[in-house]
Amino acid sequence: MEELMATLKKEIFEQLNLQHVKPEDIAYDQPLFVEGLGLDSIDALELIVLLQQKYGIKLANPAEGPKIFYSIKTMAEYITAHKKQ
Amino acid sequence: MELFIKGIGCISPQLTYDNPDFLPGIKKYAGNRMMCIEPDYAPYFDAGSLRRMSRVVKFSAAAALIALKDSGITQLDAITTGTGYGLLENSEKFLKSMAESTGPVLSPTSFIQSTHNTVGATIALITGCNAHNNTFSHKGFSFESALIDARLMVAEGATHVLVGAHDEISEKTFALMEKLDVFRNNNEADINAYEKGSSGIVAGEGAAFFILSDKKGESDYGVLMDNIIFYHPENAIEVKQHIEAFLEKNKLALENIDVVISGINGDAKEDAVSHEINHLLFAHQTIVLFKHLCGEYMTASSFGFWLAAKILLAQQVPETVILKNRHRKPGYILLYNVFQNDHSLMLFKAC
Repeated sequence: MEELMATLKKEIFEQLNLQHVKPEDIAYDQPLFVEGLGLDSIDALELIVLLQQKYGIKLANPAEGPKIFYSIKTMAEYITAHKKQ
Repeated sequence: MELFIKGIGCISPQLTYDNPDFLPGIKKYAGNRMMCIEPDYAPYFDAGSLRRMSRVVKFSAAAALIALKDSGITQLDAITTGTGYGLLENSEKFLKSMAESTGPVLSPTSFIQSTHNTVGATIALITGCNAHNNTFSHKGFSFESALIDARLMVAEGATHVLVGAHDEISEKTFALMEKLDVFRNNNEADINAYEKGSSGIVAGEGAAFFILSDKKGESDYGVLMDNIIFYHPENAIEVKQHIEAFLEKNKLALENIDVVISGINGDAKEDAVSHEINHLLFAHQTIVLFKHLCGEYMTASSFGFWLAAKILLAQQVPETVILKNRHRKPGYILLYNVFQNDHSLMLFKAC
């Protein structure tokens, strides 16, 4: 899990071209949106694309989005759960 | 309707911002491409916004913010922009990812930010302006159409309108156009070379924005009296008729015009009508060129507008832009631009 979270963090920074924060400043359980990294709806689309492109996971229920994309940790847990299936 | 020019912002291949001097010297380009001298964007945008902005979005939105700051106006009633090429870099990026993709989904950001109205929308988001927001993409008439829209908005009650234009030349588009032999080499911004003319143009780019209002102020640059466009005239005689009718409509005679800003781009074939018009009509006016400073692009006339505003405020014409000097005080200025046989006129006067 630790390795997946580290990889995921690197991929998120690359995909979203995050320049205003450093990867080491973001904890795995820190919120990605609003008060955390300050991501927005376009970033949410980018994260959906990232899941599909890098991990082959298609988000079946968009309503689950806020829970899945809450933090790097929740994303990693979702990836782990859905890759096993 | 007369519109007062309250603020200007221009980012171009010359140092046209953060520069108290008015073109005392010019940056010379030896090749066939002039690129914008870009500022440090940190004072204009927060880092979170910058990460998504392409080069043209950054230099255009910054030019708009410079114009706003220059005017001291914070509340806009309309934003209207013109662009010929749109957002080339983002369009190319998206098309490339489409061509190379093997999966069903693509990164959406470059697509979202590839539309022609991205700059107008970005300015609206930054300034919190929910009012009228329109973008015109009509080749050589793009900026001119935005100006007409601004005039119509003021006629309908808007007080302060942000109007501007932007175009970029990206690596891929430049390479493709280069293969079509549209560019010429070895331009060194020598104004005399533009008079003589050769074959081809020098690629340019830039963004220029203006705050226009029908309310007169104490520190206005000057007045935009009128502007018109005319499509593919057959010859110089037809252009002459358009110019005379335009002046007559504004209750002016040819001899009232002190300075003519001409969109001559150095391509002998394309400039032939402009040279003939200068010969036929403007023997007593100071003739000014500007495309040796910014290159040629679909909205280059917006750079000419910036030059007119600066001349009106300074009440002097910089030596670096004078083709023929008749030593007239710049009271009335006529801008005559041509882009691939799209012709336009803008009429200005001093306050």
